[in-house]
Amino acid sequence: MSVGAPPLSASTLSVELRERLVPIFGADIAIEQLALLEDEHRLLEVAAAAGVRVPMPCGYLGEIVGRPAFVSERVSGETIGRRIVQRPELADARAVLPAQMAEELAKIHAIPAERVPFLGGVGAHDVLGRLTNEVDHLEDAHPAIELGLAWARGRAPERNETVVLHGDLRVGNLAVTATGLGHVLDWEFGHRGDPAEDVAWPLVRAWRFGVDQLRLGGIGDVEPYLERYNALTGRHITLASLDYWEIVGNLKWAIGALTQSRRHLSGQQRSVELAVLGRLAAEMEFELLHLLERAA
Amino acid sequence: MQDRPDAAELAQAVREFIETEVLPGIDDPRLRFRTLVAANGLGILEREIALGAPLVRREVGSLARLLGHADPLPDDPGELRRRAVDLNRELAQRIRAGDTPEGALAHLVATVADKLRIASPRYLERYR
Repeated sequence: MSVGAPPLSASTLSVELRERLVPIFGADIAIEQLALLEDEHRLLEVAAAAGVRVPMPCGYLGEIVGRPAFVSERVSGETIGRRIVQRPELADARAVLPAQMAEELAKIHAIPAERVPFLGGVGAHDVLGRLTNEVDHLEDAHPAIELGLAWARGRAPERNETVVLHGDLRVGNLAVTATGLGHVLDWEFGHRGDPAEDVAWPLVRAWRFGVDQLRLGGIGDVEPYLERYNALTGRHITLASLDYWEIVGNLKWAIGALTQSRRHLSGQQRSVELAVLGRLAAEMEFELLHLLERAA
Repeated sequence: MQDRPDAAELAQAVREFIETEVLPGIDDPRLRFRTLVAANGLGILEREIALGAPLVRREVGSLARLLGHADPLPDDPGELRRRAVDLNRELAQRIRAGDTPEGALAHLVATVADKLRIASPRYLERYR
């Protein structure tokens, strides 16, 4: 946006448009792995064209008051994980969500990679390399995480198929209505990689929001979800592969929580939420060790 | 020596104030969430003041046994903490080098459970 142009903000949109559109702002600070907002907007356009249920992107705006921004369709629905797994009025939605999540993942994983060439392509070894690098940037040592990384390195699948991944598809990043999945949100962690990485991510215990016995996001069993995904894609992802990527998922979120707390501690972004997250990483470490014990 | 309230009692007083007087007046869901997080942070602090010292001692003792160090544990709390940092680094380096000591998993399960006794005791109960 050129200097001196009038700032485009929600207030310059007509009242009618303001009800239907919402501005999406990028982070004002770079987080490793976070796709540039312009790329995120492009990924949303490509995903929409592929029939994925996304809030329709309506144009990348460039920089607005120091932060990148784009305009998106405003969508409704419940996004708070704890409510989605608990509220009685969402029981019907919970019954159909597992199959719908499989369907959206199948569509996302069919997006032609050449349409989003800016997405980095990574297999298990690359994911683990990036995580190791992040751990090395924390000052103190985390032996539980090291044990998980060592386990995962020793069993990393060879890179076979690399597809476009959402990177963060789970309960909490979906707009859920009374009838089921409305829209898939939060595309900032889109990347390329092993499809099982995406399929296993919503199994991670932190995303079950307290309903631990339902391994798929506190809403359902894994088997029907996986069967639906495999039937739609013709892939043969196994439960063993999901077990592997669930452990990697716990590693990702444990390290992510520690890394985020460092943003508070370094003064990059002072926040009580980020501060406390540093202590909650122990939850993911405990789950990681629990899964390692079971895998042994 | 400071007069009462002691550190734990003071943290508890602030947490109770947030929970009983501040929270009920907050409608904005984002601010409400952050306020709950803040109260939770004070709860962690209360538990750390009450339970922290013996748990660090237990961790250092277990690390020393695991890594085969025979030297006595320091009495000074600051020194004990530094020993914990050093030994955790040594354990992490050995695991990274492919030389994981026998019993590492059991040690880590017990140690992380101790961390949760302070950071998130209700989470720990979910594994019972």
